[in-house]
Amino acid sequence: MSPLDANVTADALMRLGASTAEAVAKALDAICAAPVERGDVSVVPADESPFNGFAFADGPAVAVSVHYVDGVTGGNVLLMSARAARAVAAAMGGSGEVPAEAPDDDANPTELELSAVAEAANQMFAAAASATGVVLSQDVEIAPPDTRVLADVAAAREAFDATPHAVSATFRVFGEPCRLVQLVPNAFVVRMTRALDEQGSEQLSGGAGLSALGIAQRVEPGEERALDELLRDIRVRVWAELGRTRVSLGAAPQLPPGAVLELDRKADDPVDLYVNGLRFGSGRLVLTDEGEWALRLEEVAGQGFRPPAIASESPAGDETTREVV
Amino acid sequence: MARMLVVDDAAFMRKVLTDALVSGGHEVVGEAGDGDAAIAAFRDLQPDLVTLDITMPEKDGLATLRELIELDPAACVVICSALGQETKVLEAIKAGAKDFVVKPFERERLLGAVEKALGQAAVQAG
Repeated sequence: MSPLDANVTADALMRLGASTAEAVAKALDAICAAPVERGDVSVVPADESPFNGFAFADGPAVAVSVHYVDGVTGGNVLLMSARAARAVAAAMGGSGEVPAEAPDDDANPTELELSAVAEAANQMFAAAASATGVVLSQDVEIAPPDTRVLADVAAAREAFDATPHAVSATFRVFGEPCRLVQLVPNAFVVRMTRALDEQGSEQLSGGAGLSALGIAQRVEPGEERALDELLRDIRVRVWAELGRTRVSLGAAPQLPPGAVLELDRKADDPVDLYVNGLRFGSGRLVLTDEGEWALRLEEVAGQGFRPPAIASESPAGDETTREVV
Repeated sequence: MARMLVVDDAAFMRKVLTDALVSGGHEVVGEAGDGDAAIAAFRDLQPDLVTLDITMPEKDGLATLRELIELDPAACVVICSALGQETKVLEAIKAGAKDFVVKPFERERLLGAVEKALGQAAVQAG
């Protein structure tokens, strides 16, 4: 792997790790009815186990793992001290009474407590999969969680197959240590890198450049130019949006044919131009001589007024696609 | 009071759901930990309402729901989903689920969804 590839991979892993860790932390906030302490997110060196250094000296730990079943490959392991697990189980209890602190004895969690922790993990990882799905622009589904009690690092290494990449995020829940380990196969990294490239190409159009990818700070100036050139070749999806509205999840599938949905735009308002999901500018719909819709740009985000141009007349010819919705 | 079947692979969630439904005056006539057990219990017990988890091993909630609706098009099912499973919930409603709750949920929200679903089923039964 070249230094540039390594940097891009590290950035993709960090983005994945940070978004997943934050989704898990927010779900834990809700379960524990208080903010959990966020720690570090880091890419685990290839020659190290992601479970090294966890506080097994204080007693066994509970590990809850899920793997993805659709969309991508890979999985997550949430490692927490037995005390943290029992406290989370108590917080899940449904009685409305959330414990102020972890229990002060070293008893192992009961089966029902382990089931409660598994359910908590299910809710956390579903939220995390949703966050990952946003980055990848597709649904990511998870399998039911698997829960086990581990005595030490060796048991953790044995329980979970090593992957080429891993990201570790630390938390403290009720003052007790927790660690989220994301086990990441190469295929996932490729998907993430591609998705982030696409997001980056959106940002380039808005003038944000490579910093939007979190890459510019990590590569040498010469390498940045090389990456910039690579990103310029990425094909992007372009569409115009007439307007939008919201309906409830319950009402959407019951809309009958003939229903009229009012949009948030007046008939003479400009329509928005989107590039890969990012609002890029606005303009007016016009008809070409061939009877097709086109968009005459009136405003481009971050660039002020530009001489009028028609979106379909891309210098790259077929490098863009048009969708009028 | 309605007769309920609680379906969830997590014993903990079955307990939480059962406690909440019983406290709301309902009778939980059965519990199931997977899709096949749910379908068997549904045939045997003919409950008024089923609470159904989405993420389950082997046969997930959506596949189970479709079989339940095939068995009884008037089956009254409330989906229990986690945050981030909106697409699944949408599919479930299209497949015939009467309502849904998102975990973690409050007891009142669950009981409200159950009452609404039972009311809807009663109207449809005419």
